[in-house]
Amino acid sequence: MSKPKVGIYGLTGCAGDQLVILNCEDELLNIVGALDIKSFSMAVSESDDDCLLDIVFVEGTVVQPRDEEMLQNLRERAKLLIAIGTCAVWGGLPAMKNEFSQEEIKKKVYGPAGDIFKTTAPQPLSSFVKVDLSISGCPIEKEQLLQAVASLLHGDLPRLPGYAVCTECKMSEYTCLLVEKGQLCLGPITVAGCKARCPGYGQPCIGCRGPVEEANVSSEIEVLKEKGFTWVDIQNRLRTFVASIDPLQIESV
Amino acid sequence: MKIITLPKENLTEFIGYLHAFGEIHAPTKRGDKSVVFAPVSDLSEIELNYTRTILPLKKYFFKPVDVMFNFYADKGYEAPTEEADKKYVIFGVHPCDIHGLKILDLVSNGRYVDTYYFAGRNKAAIIGLDCIPDDLCFCRSIGTDFVDAGFDLFLSDIDNSYLVRVGTSLGDDMVKAADTLFHEVNKEDREAYKRKSIERRKSFRTEIQLQDLPEIIDLEYENEVWHEVGEKCLSCGTCSMVCPTCYCYAVFDELNLDASSGQRKRRWDSCLFKDYALVAGGHNFRAERSSRVKNRFFHKQRGFVTQYGRPSCVGCGRCKAYCPAGIDIVEIVNKLRSQTRV
Amino acid sequence: MSKHENCSDCQNPYTPHPARIIRILPQIPDHQLFQIHIRFEDQGKVFTYRPGQFVMLSVIGVGEAPFSISSSPTHEGIIELCVRRIGHVTDALFRLPPKAMVGIRGPYGNGFPVEKLEGNNLLLVAGGLGMAPLRSLLWYTLDNRSKFKDVILMYGAKNPGDMLFKYELLSLLDRTDVKCLLTIDKKDESAIWKAHVGVVTTLFDFVDIDPNDTYAAVCGPEVMFKFVLDELLKRNFAKDRILMSLERNMHCGVGKCGHCMIGYKYTCLDGPIFTYWDAINLPEMV
Repeated sequence: MSKPKVGIYGLTGCAGDQLVILNCEDELLNIVGALDIKSFSMAVSESDDDCLLDIVFVEGTVVQPRDEEMLQNLRERAKLLIAIGTCAVWGGLPAMKNEFSQEEIKKKVYGPAGDIFKTTAPQPLSSFVKVDLSISGCPIEKEQLLQAVASLLHGDLPRLPGYAVCTECKMSEYTCLLVEKGQLCLGPITVAGCKARCPGYGQPCIGCRGPVEEANVSSEIEVLKEKGFTWVDIQNRLRTFVASIDPLQIESV
Repeated sequence: MKIITLPKENLTEFIGYLHAFGEIHAPTKRGDKSVVFAPVSDLSEIELNYTRTILPLKKYFFKPVDVMFNFYADKGYEAPTEEADKKYVIFGVHPCDIHGLKILDLVSNGRYVDTYYFAGRNKAAIIGLDCIPDDLCFCRSIGTDFVDAGFDLFLSDIDNSYLVRVGTSLGDDMVKAADTLFHEVNKEDREAYKRKSIERRKSFRTEIQLQDLPEIIDLEYENEVWHEVGEKCLSCGTCSMVCPTCYCYAVFDELNLDASSGQRKRRWDSCLFKDYALVAGGHNFRAERSSRVKNRFFHKQRGFVTQYGRPSCVGCGRCKAYCPAGIDIVEIVNKLRSQTRV
Repeated sequence: MSKHENCSDCQNPYTPHPARIIRILPQIPDHQLFQIHIRFEDQGKVFTYRPGQFVMLSVIGVGEAPFSISSSPTHEGIIELCVRRIGHVTDALFRLPPKAMVGIRGPYGNGFPVEKLEGNNLLLVAGGLGMAPLRSLLWYTLDNRSKFKDVILMYGAKNPGDMLFKYELLSLLDRTDVKCLLTIDKKDESAIWKAHVGVVTTLFDFVDIDPNDTYAAVCGPEVMFKFVLDELLKRNFAKDRILMSLERNMHCGVGKCGHCMIGYKYTCLDGPIFTYWDAINLPEMV
């Protein structure tokens, strides 16, 4: 069987998810051996950016017209498009600015230099193209990436867990930061896969992996309010990674 | 049953003798407030006056994630290489958790035997310890505040000593190994035990009315309370993870990078997860959160009673203690009952 | 340590037996019949089962899923599974080359109570993929024909192109020992279809059944079931003479993982065959 042709691309983002791929030190040779990597600008100097691809991994958010063009082009070239990282899956940190005027914020950050480029409201990839698989995380988890690559090599899409960080946190028997310490933890509504790394280090979950399916945001807000957090605290935490969860819509609770 | 006493000052030495029977695990502090069962080397690490650990004992025999077997495209299926015959002594187990294990024994047995569970279970000795309840404990109304089987030794605090009940031949071997540390029960011990027993009984403040609960649940199947709880529930899975009797699991295959070998694993699952009753093709038999909440409760307090003659709840209070939304089974029962009375 | 005394003697119920796909027979789009041979280390051992039982099938590297057995135990040596390509396991199964190895565990579930059915008339009513488990019972009764009174099959599909086991069933039309009634919802102008047209319940007009010595086995989509049930109750069938096969999510097949629980019954142990009376006494079922 011929090796699948793969491209690894980044739109606007920190490239942290691409770095996770490079950090698979023990497995890197196996990955390179199993995949025909056509483009990975972070790691490979030569690249073929026109060929058809079996799989394309795309990191980052669409924040400017250039990103959208690149994304559309990648979609046309690839059989499977896989969004990697919370930016690509949910909009991530860049989407935080969506509640402000795009022009105003550009002026504030870049001053007059901002006039030479265009920005749009940051959006996840799925707002523009069909996404075949989403691997969220800020950054993605190495284990999930390797699982995904293994399944893709086998010809299947991997099935990643859909349950909450709380589940993995309890499996590891970490002290509950929300119930026992009254901290602003988003574990109950954030999708697992990180093995509750932050609570394991005594830090509450900040929701970097994005929400679980059917997240009960209103109940989470109610819980946090009862713990004494202000609406501003809660809103800021909820909106850090996922602009599409709009707490304003449920402010009345 | 053989009953003897162990003066408290001898406990340290007795723990020393237990090392010969396996790796000792006991309640230990994690952080400021939490307690977990973990390996210990001596008494100083053991938290004798704990109320409840985060996870019950199921974590030892039915692991959060467990390898079922290895698979290879060419060779097929192979059992994983077994851990050497390592033995465990689990010390300081409260009656509710011993009852929890008895329930897991029951469901892991039957027409098909869960060999993974019993492989570990058969290697662990259980040394029980009595406890003083807090407001979340309702074991007394379930009848799980006391055990008469399911332990190798059981220690009850009678002020200066522990009254020790010997439950099995292995327990007797442990006592024999440290023979000089134990004493015969005298009149004073007997009186102390009875006095402590009354004191302990009086300390239970939370009650659940179990009698005819299955019928009430049938009657109140459409009660509004299920929707109220469904609105609050975060489907985070916490209650199922910490429950001593939640035994559901999900099976999944993990493939190696060679794309031809890997491992079949199982992990704890929860009936509160959205995909729990989802079948291929997309039909979900419990798509609503309220129906999932109701099902969990129904199975424990109604379904299990029909199946095994007792509820699969031991009143340990963990679900209420760790639920971020504060969902309280005792409150649900009270609501169902008061509405029946109207 | 009380626990389980004889565990060393216990078979691990979770390890699949190696099995080989002998032949793949395409049925209708996205449906194939897989003929599978199960290899046992003990050469003399044969795979025995009851009509209505199911197996857990593993595709290496993908996972495991339950499938009802479509063949009859009277045909020894192989089992047949009629599979719809609908999820990740079936998708992988459809991509396997002929002669590929798979894993099989089972048979599981109660199956049809064939001893109880003996001496009675049998009315099998199927819709769509519901024919898969009923085919096992159909051939079992035909191969043990003297043990049963009248055998009637009613099977409805959307159109001739959606009918499972079409040629096999058409060949039954001429037989005198079974009344085979096939229907399609709507006739396509171009198709040559000589059997009935209309929903499956319209076939009840062509039979005369005594509910007192007849068992009905019904399998099909929920909507069909509802209408067939009305028809049977109208004809005074006792609720415990109506048998149905239920589908649920299953991870273990042996009554441990919890997924297929309905109230207090495990579909994998107490089912998948339930009487209508059992079913209406389960929560979430009406």
